[in-house]
Parts: sequence; structure tokens; C-alpha cells
Amino acid sequence: MNRLKNLPTLQIDPEKKISLRYKGKSYEGVQGDTIATLLYANGIRVFARSLKYHRPRGLYSLDGECSNTLMEVDGIPNVRCENTPAREGMNVKAQNVLGSADRDFMAFMDKMSRAMPAGFYYKIFHKPASVWPLVIKRIRKAAGLGKMSPDFDMPGAYDEIYPRADVCVVGGGPAGMCAALAAAEQGLRVILLEARPRLGGSYDYRCTQYHSVSGDRNMPLCQRARELAEQVEAHPCIRVFAHTFLTGVYGGHVLTAFQQGGEADHFTQRYVEIRTESMVAATGCTERPLLFENNEKPGVMQPGCAHRLARTWGLLPGKTAVFSIGHDAGIEAAIDLSDLGMEIPCVADVREDGQDPLLLAELEKRQIPFYRGWAALCAEGGKNLKKVCLSTLNGKHQKNFACDILAAAAGLSPLTGPLTLAGAGLKYDSHSGFFLPEDMPENIHAAGHLLGYEYPPAIESSGTLAGLWAAADCGVSVQNAVREISEEMAALPGPLRGSKFVCGPVSGKKTFICFDEDCTLKNTDQAMAEGFDVPELIKRFTSAGTGPGQGGIPGHNLPLYVALSQASPDSSPRPTTTRSPLTPPYLATYAGSSHDMSKRTPVHDFQAASGGRMERVGVWNRARRFSQNQSPKNKSDDATARREIENVRNNVGMLDASTLGKFRIFGQDALKALQRVYVSDMSRVSEGRMKYSAMCNEDGCVIDDGVVTKCGENDYYLTTSTGRAGMTAEWFRFHSRYEKWDYHIVNLTDAYGVINLAGPSARRVLEKITDADVSHGAFPFSAYREFSVQNVIPVRAMRLGFVGELSYEFHVPSSFMPSLWQILEEAGKEFGIQNFGLEAQSTMRMEKGHVILGSESEQRTTLHDIGLGFLWHRGKPEAKTVGASALAHTEKQKGRLKLVGFKTENPADGVPKDGAPIADDRIRGYVCTCRYSYSLKVTIGMALVEDELAAENTRLGIYTNDGFAGEAMPDSGEYMKYARVVPMPFYDPEGKRMKM
Amino acid sequence: MSVSITCPVCGKRKGYEFRFGGEDKGAKPEESVLADPAAWCDYVHMNECRAGVQKEWWCHKDGCGTWFCIKRDTVKNIEVK
Amino acid sequence: MLKIQRQSPVSFAAEAIRTEEREHWNIVLEYEKEGEGPWLADMSHRPRWDVQDGNMASLSVFGNKVPEKPNSCIYCRGTLINRMNAAQASVWHMDGEPQKPAEKAYTDTADAGVFLALAGKQIFSIAEKLTDLDFLNPRQETPFLVQGPFSHVPCQIVVADRGETGESPFPAEKSGLILLSCSRGYAHDMVHAILDAGEEFGIRAAGEDKILNELRRIFSG
Repeated sequence: MNRLKNLPTLQIDPEKKISLRYKGKSYEGVQGDTIATLLYANGIRVFARSLKYHRPRGLYSLDGECSNTLMEVDGIPNVRCENTPAREGMNVKAQNVLGSADRDFMAFMDKMSRAMPAGFYYKIFHKPASVWPLVIKRIRKAAGLGKMSPDFDMPGAYDEIYPRADVCVVGGGPAGMCAALAAAEQGLRVILLEARPRLGGSYDYRCTQYHSVSGDRNMPLCQRARELAEQVEAHPCIRVFAHTFLTGVYGGHVLTAFQQGGEADHFTQRYVEIRTESMVAATGCTERPLLFENNEKPGVMQPGCAHRLARTWGLLPGKTAVFSIGHDAGIEAAIDLSDLGMEIPCVADVREDGQDPLLLAELEKRQIPFYRGWAALCAEGGKNLKKVCLSTLNGKHQKNFACDILAAAAGLSPLTGPLTLAGAGLKYDSHSGFFLPEDMPENIHAAGHLLGYEYPPAIESSGTLAGLWAAADCGVSVQNAVREISEEMAALPGPLRGSKFVCGPVSGKKTFICFDEDCTLKNTDQAMAEGFDVPELIKRFTSAGTGPGQGGIPGHNLPLYVALSQASPDSSPRPTTTRSPLTPPYLATYAGSSHDMSKRTPVHDFQAASGGRMERVGVWNRARRFSQNQSPKNKSDDATARREIENVRNNVGMLDASTLGKFRIFGQDALKALQRVYVSDMSRVSEGRMKYSAMCNEDGCVIDDGVVTKCGENDYYLTTSTGRAGMTAEWFRFHSRYEKWDYHIVNLTDAYGVINLAGPSARRVLEKITDADVSHGAFPFSAYREFSVQNVIPVRAMRLGFVGELSYEFHVPSSFMPSLWQILEEAGKEFGIQNFGLEAQSTMRMEKGHVILGSESEQRTTLHDIGLGFLWHRGKPEAKTVGASALAHTEKQKGRLKLVGFKTENPADGVPKDGAPIADDRIRGYVCTCRYSYSLKVTIGMALVEDELAAENTRLGIYTNDGFAGEAMPDSGEYMKYARVVPMPFYDPEGKRMKM
Repeated sequence: MSVSITCPVCGKRKGYEFRFGGEDKGAKPEESVLADPAAWCDYVHMNECRAGVQKEWWCHKDGCGTWFCIKRDTVKNIEVK
Repeated sequence: MLKIQRQSPVSFAAEAIRTEEREHWNIVLEYEKEGEGPWLADMSHRPRWDVQDGNMASLSVFGNKVPEKPNSCIYCRGTLINRMNAAQASVWHMDGEPQKPAEKAYTDTADAGVFLALAGKQIFSIAEKLTDLDFLNPRQETPFLVQGPFSHVPCQIVVADRGETGESPFPAEKSGLILLSCSRGYAHDMVHAILDAGEEFGIRAAGEDKILNELRRIFSG
């Protein structure tokens, strides 16, 4: 198709050709084309088939209000072709078709519409019930738009950005640009978002004359748009995000959006999250669809779409265009398209009066017939439009016109999405026919066309005013400027009277109120007949407005139509709720650059190099196990970590325990703080000794355990479990928030690496690396010592026994940890030292009956329930210990889950999984940890069970569905394994090994 | 995403940086008072759950670590002065 | 016998061309092809302390008063003192020979954190891809402290310089120096995130010299 040339409004470069592939052919377009305009230029009129009825759909708008031009592009489904720039080599496919968009073998569905009334899937197919499984397959196959394979690899680069602003203006039309300039003139940081690729809004494609208020500046609107855009782009305090779609507005003025990347950008699409003090919405209006029979037939389009096709892309939409409109911009478009070479047989206007007389004079000058109080009733033709039937609003008089384009709109709708997301309620305004915000939240302003202003200087002044208000929100004094501009506005025309017309006397069978969901006026009537009386309910019953266009087409027509049908008063119509995302971005955009932030210990790389299987445990990466090549026959690794366990039990092993929480707490009230959060009497913590204790919450439920030692006067060092480390400082401060205590906490979790050296040979390894006396007498069980290794590495050593062997914990500054690790590996070589991981540790401590909070406890588990009640010191009421009162209340409470040890009756049954339920005729508890013990040659575990089952020797039934042996339950693939409650610890009950 | 909170040290930040510490109920009563399970339950678990403005504790956990009180409109989920 | 070394949690793929041994650290002073900026440098070897006291006003840090207002900083004789809250400050030793404080109020936190410096052009463009924290707030004077999430990780960040030239208050036209400290365990992922975000701007690894020169230039007055 030949493009119009030399228009000042064009945004294409006809010299730069680009081509894309569609239906196996190459189609050529020019730089600046969207995919849809490129195809349109090549004569493509049908872009897709509709969801339910497979009706042909064509170009209707150019801003993505409906799914008509959703296509698959380079494997990505549902790309909005009407506002996605065409790129060289793109591969475009039609969706929802069997065959092609032009010849779709599913087109017969359109004849079936009587079988699919509103809500049909709720009403039929469920009787008899046996039909449903068959039907659901068919419906699922037919439903949805676009296809994607599960292993689809999303092409492109996705990024994120979090810009800051004082004022954020949404909409880069005249009002938005003026608002941005006004705020920026106050020295504020202004961000301007524009959905189209360039600034200009409704001025951008219009050549109507602009006259400034002072009368000294006269030029076409498009030139005025460039003038404003140049000022905006040159202003150092304004940052423009073009081709950026707002998705959400959140309290405190967080705005989310996404930006479409251009050729030179590093991203295909990027997520934009803006924090601002104030927001101005200057989003303008869209054209409200006119409803008539076949109102979505290819060839029917918004007047603005026809106008922009010609003015922006140089494409005359067709040969002959009938106009059926309800707003002055529609008349303007008809005049302009006539001047550009289209035949305009007539312009029908739903309004009886109120048109701009200058525009009517222009129509007359061109001898274009003007029909007042007429509107389109029916569009006819096969796949494409051939004829339009116009009618008076009462249907009495009708007239047919042959045409290939029908530019139709009932009037205008303000784009209030950003305002409703910001929390503004909408109210129907009978003057403008708009739904306008009735109560603006703080720091949110609206400006321009969306408020009903149409006279260009009024649009601009309203923008300037909003920009000043926004500046005032940021603490700038703007009173004088506000007064000046308000006076100026008072002299200008205010919001114009708008049309609230929706449709003429149509049957409604093929009158589509929502294109995306194929929802007709008849469906809406059916919903009302069913008793759904408000738009929100009708929307859900008919699914109107739930499609990809997010209510872009039915948004304001639905409430107007419902109000009209119910003869409701003017105040009552309410549009359905707008929700984010206003425009859907790719999920890949939300994923952004996806930096998964996790922690590594100082010896992470050493462990990985030694074959450690690293996995995420909370925020950390830890080695689960090192056991590989368990036997020459079985090359796969051994999940039970047997070799590691046996090496610790027989020789010596080392574990990286750096993830333990570590804290210094000091100051004259440090002891008070310890007494508050720990259940034990912390005044007994002494230098050179470790004290084990626990923390509870106010329910007496245990949340943390660890050891504490004293390092000096009012100076303590303590450890917490890995999972609690991040919350410990906060916990201390929370529970002393009403006190004026002088104490301080330093989180040293990452400052120290921790090596747990365990096994019968541990002392002999330690003796090799330090000159300090580490004999049993000098460094007994539960002692704390400080020494140095090679006079360089300062070591804080604790003798503890979590895994039940002679065992030391070395806390060393993290930067020294790799050196100490290597020193220990070297020193331990002769004793067979090996790494061990979390799996081995977990099995060994379980054999010792030591709990891991979170494994052997849950939210409702008290200190008493896991047998640690002895830690609680009840003689310190003055400490107001967290959880002490609840510990007293629950001490003798019946009906609680208690921690018990158990041994399975038949080891050959296999090992029940952690978490397996313990049940008889009902669930009585669950397995916390269960392993086969290589040390004891039995399967043992710990479980939380109802207190009645806690007595020794009670038989527990463990329900499993793991396919292992056990006692099969009748008629199911499930099994019961049986176990007996036995005393703990299982291993070395006297604790001789860790105290040797 | 929707709530912003003003930390007395670091200023206005997004809600994700904070931990909620519950309604401000005043200092914890003496253990002798809480020995009565009903009194304990009142202090620990009973909240006003006001539909409107309430005073509550927040901790700037991702920032300066301070615990402080703000007033929040629980209906609109916004901080108020 | 094994040579005992202190190891930073950060390592760059770039080739070191000048290094120095200092207190068991092997410090890279300069990398090959450091380029024109932006730069990312590892400063994790620099001594740092946490200082807490009920009466901060009474404290003297190497002869300096701790700044009174939270989130304000002073730089004096090679040391940055950053007031964190009512009772806490961080002390970062950047340049010259550090003294070793003996008072109880101090805790050595050099190994608690990874310590990075971002310098040169476009660093604020890199930062805004990773955080919504406001480093360019015109109402704050450098150097100042920001405590909050950077690439989702709680950080202490000192904006030491933001090239107060040009009219635009936005990142694209600003250059400067940011010092960032967060939990040491995050070092690997944090460096990865910054290098990834900075790739489009040509970010390179830089040695300690680059940062010390920047600091001397910024705080020479």
C-alpha cells in the first residue's frame, strides 16, 4: 500500500524497510511500523479469531484496549501487535485458529452462539456427572488464547529499574507535559511516563490549529506537541520513560510500570518501580465503543484509530469511511481523512446538539452529509465490512451506506485506571458523561482531557495547575502561581458536555459489549434476567471485561448500559473495579534480572571441591553430604551419608557450622536482657564455661536454643540456631522496647566461621595445631577457651557434643577460616579426617536425642513438650522472662503433642519419611526425624505424639505411602509400619563418648 | 507493596523493609498478674483490631534496626500522622 | 607449613597487576585494564568497627566526635564515621595506618561484612537497577549513610560523592563514589548482581588504589 507522504505527523521512515514473516510469506513495512500497521499496509484485515465464536477480528484501536490483534510473535503468545514495534525478521502467527485467521475451520462456532448463553458452562454439562470429565477436556482445549510449550525458552533480555522522583506524571500528552514542566520548574525531580513511543498524546496526530491564550502563538496541534516535547526533553529535571505502561499504583505512591525496549536498549522489556511524593494522572481519554450489530467486524474501528493510521503511519484505512460518532474529535477525524483522500459518505452523530459549529461548517464546506441524532445500527458484509445501516436513535428511519470502513464511537471515556488504583472512587458525572474521581487520595492529582477539558489551552492549564499542586505536595510554596493559573482557567471553556449513548435499538445477538470474551448485549440481558443487577456481578457471570484488554472495551459501556436498562438514577452507575496490572507485562519482566541472593560460608568453595552437595538451607548454601561412590558397584551417591557418619564415630570429621548465629551482647544491662529472653537463670553464665539454654515466645513455645558464655564484665558471647540468626537482635530489642536498658548487640554471625571437629580423634588433631593445653582436664566438656593457632589465628573454642562424640567448635574470624580449615585437614590426615555434612550431623544428633528446633518442634511446641522443661528457671519473676507465664500454665497441661523416641519393629520395612503421620483410627502425631542408625543397626527416630502415646513401649502405627514394605492396609496402596516408644538418647546414653 | 512506613531514623521506606510488632499494648504486666491464664491471654493474644487508626510497633529490620511506633489507618492501610 | 592468609569473600576474574601483603591480606592495588569506569572494588580488607554506647556524645573515635544526626557521616584522617541510630555508629578505616581501639564500645566487624566500593560514571544508574534507595536526594549532603536493602540484602551504604556538577538530578549524568557493606555471606551474589547490572555500562574491577585516589580527591578540601 502506498503511504501518505510529507505529513508533519508521520512517525515512520519510509526509506528504512523492514520485513517480517507471516503465514509463510515475507511482508515488508517501514521503520516505525507496529506489527499490526505493517500487516495492515500489506492488506491484512483479519488478525485473529475471537475466543468463543471464532469471529474474524481486525484492527480496532491502536492502544491495546482489546485482544483483536493479539498474535504469536517469535514463539511468544498474546503479543499486542497494534502497539508492538515491528522488527526485522519477526515471525508472526495468528492465534486461536484452525487453519488461518482468514480461513478458520472453527468459524462454525459463530452459528452455535445460541447454544452458549451467558454462564453456559455453569449450567449445563454437570448432569449427568459422568459427562463432565469428557466435556472438560473439550472446553479446556477450546478455551484460552495462545499456546506455549512447557519448555519454552523466553527470548529477550529482561531487566528492572527503581527510579526515584518527587513528582511522577502519568501520560505524556499536553496536560502531562505541562504538569511535568510546572513541577520541574520548581526544581523537583519529575518522571514522565508515556505509553506510546513518543510524547504528544492527542495533539500528536492532529493538524487542527492551536491558539494560545494570549493569542500570539498559532500553529497546528502536532507542532505544539513537538514544541512541548522539546521543552520537556530538554529540561534537566524531567526524566521521560516513553513506551512505558503503568501497571499499578500503591499507597505511599509507589508506581509500577513496564517499559518496552527500543532497538538500542539493553532490554526487551523492563520492570519499572517508581517511588514518588506526588502523582499526576493525565492519561486522557479513549473512545467509548458504539454498540451495534457486528460492531467488531473487521473494518469497524475507532475514529481515532482510523485517524492515527493515516496521520502517524501514512496509511489510509480504506477507500470509503462512514463515521458514526458522539464526540467532536470524531468529526475532526472525518474532516481530516476526507482531506487526506478518503471518501466520507456521511457523519452520523448520536448528539442532537452541542457540536463545535466550526467543525460543522468544515463538514458543510466539504459537502459531507451530517446526521444529527443518528447512529450505526448494523454492520454488514462477509469477513470484511461492505455496508452499514444507520438509523435514528429510535430506529424509525434507516439508511444504508456502502463502505469498507466504519469509524464508530459512542463518545469518550476518561482513562481513570491509575486514579482508581490509587484509591479514588469513581462517580458518574452527568455533564461530561464520564466516570470521574469523587474523592482524590492525598498527593494524587488529575489533569487534562480525562477531566472533560477539550479546548487545548484549557487542557494545558489544567496540566500546569496539577503540576503545581504536585509541587506543593513536595513542600514547595506555589500559591501565587496557582492563583494565576486558576484565574486563567476560569476564563477558558470548562469540561464539555459528553454523550452517554451506548446503543440504538438493536437485537443484541451480535452486538459485542466485550470483544475479548465474545460477550454480547444479549448475554448482558440474560445476566440481568437471572437477577445479576450490578456490573460487578454481571461481569463475573458473563465474563465481560475479564479478558486480556482488562475491561478496555466494556469498562464504561457496561455500567451505562446496566443503568439505562434499570432506569437507575444518574448517581448510581458504577464501573467495575480496575485492578493491576492495567496492562499485562510478560512474566519474564516481573522475574527481571532475578538475582537469587543467598549466603556462602568462607569455606563454601572448599566443600564444593570436596564433593559436597550444596543446597539452600534458609538464606545459606550448605553441604548436605559428601558421600559419593559409596561402593564400586553403585556409583550413585549415598543419601544416608553412611561413610561420613562412620568416620565421625570411628575417627574424626569436620563440619562447616559457620551458619550458626553468633552475637556479642554487652553493656551494664546486658544480663537483664539475657534474663528476659532466655528461660534459664543467666546470672549463672560464667567465664570459661558454656551454658546451654533456650528462648521461648510468649506462648511458651520454643523458638531458639544455643549456648552463652561470658567474655568479661557485662560482656557475653552467644550462639543461636541458623534460622533465628537474622531475627535475634530484633527479638532482644522488641522484648525490652519499654525499658531504658543500656545494652548493645552486635551480630557477628558472618564475622566468625565455625568448624565443628568431632570424633574420638578430635583432641589429637587439636593438639597438633595449638600449643595450648587442651587435655580433658584443662579443656573439659562444656568449657570455653581462647587460644591462637600458629600465633596468628585467634580461636574461640567450645567443647560441645551435638553429634555425641568428643567434639570442638572453633569460632575464627571468617577471613582466617580457609586457612584454619586447611590446617585442620592437614593435621587430621593421619587420623583419617573427612568432611561431614548436614545429613550426617542430623542423623548423629538424632541418635543422641538432640533436637533441632524446626525439625523436632513446630509453632505449638512448648519447651516442656520436647523435654527441655528443665532449662526453665522459675525463680526469676522480676526478669519478666518471655514465655515464663505460659510455661507455668502449660507445664501440666494434658492433650499436648510430646516428643518421644521410637524404634521400628521391623527394620526391613524401610525408613518412614520425616513428617509421616502416626495414626490409629485417626492421626495421633507425626514423625519428626527417622533414620537407619548404622551405629546401632536399627531404625530409630523422634516423633511428636499425643501425650497418651508417649509412654515407653507404646506401639505406634506409622502411615506410609512410599511403596516400601510394611503392613498393607486393605484396598489401598498404603502401608502401616509399626514402632515402639523407647527411651532416648539411643546412642551412648551415659554420654561417655563426648566427655572422654 | 501498599504500605509505606516512616522510620524515625531512616525516613519513609517501603513496608517490606519492616517487621510488624503488633498493637501497642503497653509494657508487659508482672508475672504475678499473668499467672491468671485469662490475664495472660488478654495481654498476649487479645487485640483491639481497630478498623481505623491504631498505634502499633514496627522494626526497621532491613535498615537501622530501630523499634518504633507509628499510627496506621487499618482500613486504608496507610500511615497517618 | 601452610602460609596463613586472610581471605576476602570477593574474587574478581580480572588479572591483578600490582598487589601488596598487609596484615596477612593479599591486597590487589591495581587490576589489568581497569578502563574508564564505572569500577567495582573489593575493600573487605579495610579495618571496620561497630561502636555502640548509651551516650554516643561522650565517645571519641580516634579523636573525632561521632556525628550527631543518624545517617550522617564524617570523614577524617582516613576514617569514615557513620552514625547509624541513637546508640550505634560504624567506623570504616579507609586510608593510612589504623589505630586499634581497645574500648569496650568497639567490636571488630571487618570480617562481619563484605565491603565494596562503586566508583566512577554511571554508578547511580547501576544502583537504581538494584535498589529503590534514594542516593541522589538533593536535600542530603555527601557524605551520608543509607541503611536499607540493595539487591534485596540489607546494607549500609555511604554515598561519598555524586559529582555535584551538571543540572540533572538523575542518575544518567552523575558520577561518584559509593561504599557498600553487607553481611559477608552475601559477597558472592552481591558482586555478581552488581557486575551483572553494570555490564551495560562497562563496569570493571578496580584495585584499592583507584578507590583511595578517589577518596583523597573527594576529601582533600
